[in-house]
Amino acid sequence: MSFALPARQVTFGGRSQYQPPQQYPQGSQQQQQQQQQQQPAHGLALPTGANLSLPGPSSLALPGPGPVTAHPTYQSTLPTPQIPQPKSYPPSQSPPTTSQNAVAGPSTPAPMQMPATPVPLTLEQQHITAVEGIVPTLQNIVATVNLDCRLDLKTIALHARNAEYNPKRFAAVIMRIRDPKTTALIFASGKMVVTGAKSEDDSRLASRKYARIVQKLGFDAKFSEFKIQNIVGSCDVKFPIRLEGLAYSHGQFSSYEPELFPGLIYRMIKPKVVLLIFVSGKIVLTGAKVREEIYTAFNTIYTVLCEFRKP
Amino acid sequence: MATAYYEFYRGSSIGMALTDSLDELITSGAITPQLAMKVLQQFDKSLADTMVKSVKTKTNLKGHLHTYRLCDDVWTFIVKDASFKMDGNDIVRAPKVKIIACKNGDAIEAGKKS
Repeated sequence: MSFALPARQVTFGGRSQYQPPQQYPQGSQQQQQQQQQQQPAHGLALPTGANLSLPGPSSLALPGPGPVTAHPTYQSTLPTPQIPQPKSYPPSQSPPTTSQNAVAGPSTPAPMQMPATPVPLTLEQQHITAVEGIVPTLQNIVATVNLDCRLDLKTIALHARNAEYNPKRFAAVIMRIRDPKTTALIFASGKMVVTGAKSEDDSRLASRKYARIVQKLGFDAKFSEFKIQNIVGSCDVKFPIRLEGLAYSHGQFSSYEPELFPGLIYRMIKPKVVLLIFVSGKIVLTGAKVREEIYTAFNTIYTVLCEFRKP
Repeated sequence: MATAYYEFYRGSSIGMALTDSLDELITSGAITPQLAMKVLQQFDKSLADTMVKSVKTKTNLKGHLHTYRLCDDVWTFIVKDASFKMDGNDIVRAPKVKIIACKNGDAIEAGKKS
């Protein structure tokens, strides 16, 4: 079984209360045990406090991504769990004050009138995600939909706006809409791939809009089997990283070939996310099916990156 | 092959003039309709080639691309608030422009090969 890197527990309050976000209903217990086992091996050199590797004041002053700075970032560095535990936050949609739009999973039915713009993170999400005030920004979401109906692509290309169809090049209609700014590949089988959305809700809304366009052209299109296939996030840890050292000590997960690609490719196993780590401290996370996997992966890697901070 | 060329240049003023003249010649019995067709096909080809080889004038177009479409190797663009900057630095504006772009002679041949 794969090993899980020690997550940066301080973010979640006390370690004993930490539970990974809901996507590991069965595996969470196991992962936690592994983390505790791994902790001595990896944790010896690691600071357990959030600020040990950074001068305290500067970490407080680190400018986080937009929504985070609106709230005090010190919450992420509090040593004691004074904050309600975030472990139950996906079901906690009951509080009317918290906007849960941004955490709608692929199976959560989103109403059509959802706003098309990304919703700022709720306070609860920040507790889960913010490490030193850094939250990965979602950059791209790829989803698939089955319209469940054979399509005549030429009819679609001729009548829809912003459509390209060149069967010699590619056997699908490429269609774009402006809001949410996305691109769809529509195949004759009725399957559709929607890319470019920045949030789960946008992806779903865009997919529905494409399905509606196809319907309006006279096809009996349904909206079925909507599934988010990939989520890409990125962030900046704002310090340079020794990629060689990281590649050496995490050889099992790392591939660093600077002659081929300047970034280190880190294949994390739990959560199953691939990270591109650059000397500059910029990180790209990809391969996640749910947003929490991006956040967990970042929290996990952040501890490691601090260890390989360039002097 | 003559059918490889679009016939839309026949609608231009030079094409109309040629068609009128050919009509006159057919009516007077000077040429056969078959010969007239051949002349028109050669016209399609020659004009397409000339457009590629001899026309060097350039125009810059700026605007907001409202709609685009690619189907059957024909691009359609609808550009809003378009402004054309001609060679002589004069600017022509239009609230809405529709552009239909087809492949010309060489590109058609290239497309067939690939």
